[in-house]
Amino acid sequence: MSVVQRKSKENEWYLSGIFAGLWITGKHLVKNLLNKKQMPTLNYPEEKYEYSPRFKGNHVLTVKKDGSLRCTACMLCATNCPAECITIVASEHEDPTVEKFPIHYQIDILRCVFCGFCEEACPVDAVRMGPEWQTPGINGAQFNYDINHLAYRPQLKGGIQTVLDDEERHKSGI
Amino acid sequence: METKLLSEHYHQDDFQNLAGYKKQGGYQVLAKALKMTSQQIIDEVKASGLRGRGGAGFPTGTKWSFLPKNNEPRYLLCNADEGEPGTFKDRLMMERAPHQLIEGMIISAFAIQSAKSYVYIRGEYNEPIRIVEKALREAYEAGFLGKNILGSGFNHEMDIYAGAGAYICGEETGMISSLEGLKGQPKLKPPFPAVQGYLRKPTIVNNVETLAAVVPIIKDGAAAYKKFGTEKSPGTKLFSLSGNVVRPGNYEVPLGYPLKDLIYKLGGGMKPGKKLKAVIPGGSSAPVLNAIEAERATMDYECLAQMGSMLGSGAVIVLDDSNCMVDMLGNLTHFYHHESCGQCTPCREGTGWLNKIVSSIMEGRGRLQDIDLLVKVADNMKGRTICALSDAAALPVLSFVQKFRDEFEYFVREGRSKVRGISYAQMHH
Amino acid sequence: MPKCTINGQEVVVKDGATIIEAIHHNNQKIAHYCWHPGLSVAGVCRLCMVEIEGNPRLQIACNTVVSEGMKINNTSEKVKDAAKWGLDFHLINHPLDCPICDQAGECGLQDQYMEFGKYDPEMAERKVKKKKVVDLGPTVVLDTERCILCSRCVRFTDEVSKTNELGIFNRGDRSEIGTFDGKELDNKYSLNTVDICPVGALTSKDFRFRQRVWYLKDAQSICTGCSTGCNVKVYFNKEGLFRVKPVFNEKVNGYWMCDEGRDIYKFVNKNARLLKGKKKKPTGFEEFFPGALAKDISSLVTADPGKVAFVVTGQFTNEEYDQVFSLWTKKWGSKNIFHWLNSPEKQNEFDGLLLRGDRNPNTQGLLKRLKDFGISTQWKDLITKINTHEIDTVVVAGPENPIWFPDFKEKLASLAKAKSLIWMQSSNHPEFENVPAGTYLIPLKSFVEKEGTFTNYSGLDQKFSKVTTIVSEALTLTEACTLLAGENLMIRPDPNVLIAAHPTADRVTLEHRKKNEFVFRRGAL
Repeated sequence: MSVVQRKSKENEWYLSGIFAGLWITGKHLVKNLLNKKQMPTLNYPEEKYEYSPRFKGNHVLTVKKDGSLRCTACMLCATNCPAECITIVASEHEDPTVEKFPIHYQIDILRCVFCGFCEEACPVDAVRMGPEWQTPGINGAQFNYDINHLAYRPQLKGGIQTVLDDEERHKSGI
Repeated sequence: METKLLSEHYHQDDFQNLAGYKKQGGYQVLAKALKMTSQQIIDEVKASGLRGRGGAGFPTGTKWSFLPKNNEPRYLLCNADEGEPGTFKDRLMMERAPHQLIEGMIISAFAIQSAKSYVYIRGEYNEPIRIVEKALREAYEAGFLGKNILGSGFNHEMDIYAGAGAYICGEETGMISSLEGLKGQPKLKPPFPAVQGYLRKPTIVNNVETLAAVVPIIKDGAAAYKKFGTEKSPGTKLFSLSGNVVRPGNYEVPLGYPLKDLIYKLGGGMKPGKKLKAVIPGGSSAPVLNAIEAERATMDYECLAQMGSMLGSGAVIVLDDSNCMVDMLGNLTHFYHHESCGQCTPCREGTGWLNKIVSSIMEGRGRLQDIDLLVKVADNMKGRTICALSDAAALPVLSFVQKFRDEFEYFVREGRSKVRGISYAQMHH
Repeated sequence: MPKCTINGQEVVVKDGATIIEAIHHNNQKIAHYCWHPGLSVAGVCRLCMVEIEGNPRLQIACNTVVSEGMKINNTSEKVKDAAKWGLDFHLINHPLDCPICDQAGECGLQDQYMEFGKYDPEMAERKVKKKKVVDLGPTVVLDTERCILCSRCVRFTDEVSKTNELGIFNRGDRSEIGTFDGKELDNKYSLNTVDICPVGALTSKDFRFRQRVWYLKDAQSICTGCSTGCNVKVYFNKEGLFRVKPVFNEKVNGYWMCDEGRDIYKFVNKNARLLKGKKKKPTGFEEFFPGALAKDISSLVTADPGKVAFVVTGQFTNEEYDQVFSLWTKKWGSKNIFHWLNSPEKQNEFDGLLLRGDRNPNTQGLLKRLKDFGISTQWKDLITKINTHEIDTVVVAGPENPIWFPDFKEKLASLAKAKSLIWMQSSNHPEFENVPAGTYLIPLKSFVEKEGTFTNYSGLDQKFSKVTTIVSEALTLTEACTLLAGENLMIRPDPNVLIAAHPTADRVTLEHRKKNEFVFRRGAL
């Protein structure tokens, strides 16, 4: 990269530039002191910024009407995941119409790059990226989210149901 | 007027019995045939131009000459599994003249040098089974069957086998499978039954009417038989006239007889107040003819083939202007969906698909593109399977949609029948 | 030898060959489901339609015998259209549950639809619902909805296993594969039906839901289950082996393999293996690196080679036998080599198809080499020599797969009477817990981790190569014996290392699949 250096008399008089900058800073300081409501800075963590509900944050596993997981353990999310952060162990379900479900579904959120490919790949709308973004943990193990956390954490209030209705789908022959 | 070559004595009650049959000259033809050589009989049948009366119309003499020239045991099977909707001629023949069939079969068996034959009768035909069984017993007692028939040194055994009512067992290889005790499914061809049929032995399968027609051919000679009918379709044929005509029933007429005369002269015309709308000329699998075509049609293989239909088994189903063609097609597709054996994919899935499309049109869920889809599906079912059931299911669909498209479009748009003005729910409560 | 033309190319085929064989022989592609080279022709899927010059109707390639001068075309629009619609007919009632279906990734419907399909499905009606997850027997699960009724499995049980368990019930699109009431699909070859099933209708209980197939790689090997030596493909990833499937070899196994042979992968995976070199102490086992342990205890062997006996099973390669026997006989002049064959009374048993009573892959190779090296020893001599202390140390090259050695416990107990016992084996065994103090266990490599040659029952030498590494520290028999002899292992320079003697062919054939690194070509059809 080349930098053009302009050497002129004006540039030697840097003090004027400094004062111009200070003037802008001071202007905003006074403005914010007079009008606190429009101030963009928050008193985190007491105050939190409201993100859009479409924000793609931590994953959520959706549930069916009866509260069981929608996930069929097809592993398309795990296949599609560029960070290889999803681990699934499938098992046989006792209900033959469900047939396959995950007994173990784990997302290593520290590896996750929040690309949203898992959501895109899911054929049954079982994994979604929720609006949650602020999820601290004490040690590494706490960032390995399991089914219990992904589908039933307290913030989800009993889990998220999707608009798809399985019974209706079955009836219409899909 | 009818030309009663086969059905001359059908009205006599004692024609069922051996005594009554013999009174009318029965089994004399057999005696004559047994004095001929088998090749002479085959040549005679070939010369008569007799074509199979079951549906496909394959020349019978040619079929017989396909048998390999070796000493393997051969079988003669009589196809009396009359499943084609609208056909009831074989039933009449078996009920009224079982001995005619048996005589024809013995002559045919002698011609092809078969020592064993079976009559495969449709399972629902309780009465014909009973009558043919009785006639068979009489024939055995009189020495027309068994060892050394009429002192000619020719041995022949005949048996009856009752089917279980599957339409597909009317197809010759399906019938052979059923007779072998397997699931009634057509077999791959080649090998053809004449080479490898029942129990993997050479087998000839003929319709009841074909075998019965051998009797007059041998009796009076091929030349006399050829006087009836047209040049390419000689002989007479029984037509099962049904539908909204005044006098439905079986009529024996020479081939080439005008369809118009069959309906108006023999059948007594349409029922009062009804107008002819369409005719299915050869059983449910034959493409439908509309009224204008029906006026021109003559009942022979060539004319109907030229009109895009076929003579088939000779079941003439007459439809009048009060018949809804969509409902009619729904009925047919339901039948073929139910009767497909499920072996070949285009037929197994296609018949179900056609039935579902027609049902959804009738139930008011149809879309205009469904009518084109019917044509596409039927087109792709045609000629893609082992047996002809797929074609049989596809051909009526193609002809119905082609000739009565307006009724289908009306049904899709309005949700009710064009001719009857009511919806499917009202039609079928 | 009729000559025909396929898509403009002249091909000479064998007498009586069908068109589909001619097309495959000519390395051209044709859609098909029901046709399988190892089974009779059913001709029901109606996909392999070809146009034959002079015939107005399309004919199926699987039931039409090639005749002299036949002009065959399977690339015309008419043929393509027939295949497209044929596939659509297959799919209209096929459930779209590929995410749950275990066959996804190696499914005939998926593969062929990508290649020959119509791509704009027009079916808008309800699908036919049938039974799901039907338990057919101890090994196989059936999904009747997914079944496309190609009848391959039915023909397999009729013609190959000759057990006739399966049949097609009902008619039309209500047809279902099934067994008669109270009967199970339970024969020694039942899992072949899973292999030949072109869709996910028949799935193996053993493999079901354990891995998606696109996570697995495959490699060819030889089955070590019995002396037939079936050619197999093992499917593996970094977690280990997951299943075994047969590979066509006309001389050995044809298209099939037995169910017991499919279990061989279980004795290769880490959980069944001896992972470390172990020394039994009165308080328990002490663990060592295998190589270090072998080198460490070499003094037991080298001190007096005449008092050392070597016991060998028929589960090692010809190369290992050659090197170890020459070490024993040439270096030490010892002929104390004893062979241990499982159930000698069953050696000549044969079930008529593939499975043999001799459960060692290389008994013939072992016996031949024993003879070549002039060794003729009796097992009972070994026992007397141990009892008379003529032999102090016994070195055992134990079986890879101990479940087929019913006398394992008894042999272990009788050999443990020796002063010191060095037991080398790839798999672990619960009986090892009870060995007396002073016994050494050395892990060996299994058949997927080494290369070599097996000689099968008929004397046919079959070479196999290394597939993957499961226990990286384990030693081959040669390595272990070299270390026991007090020598060092060394890497011998391979003069051909830079020469691409056998370049591996590109196994991916479809363009759109080449882009997907997970997908390898599999023998689904």
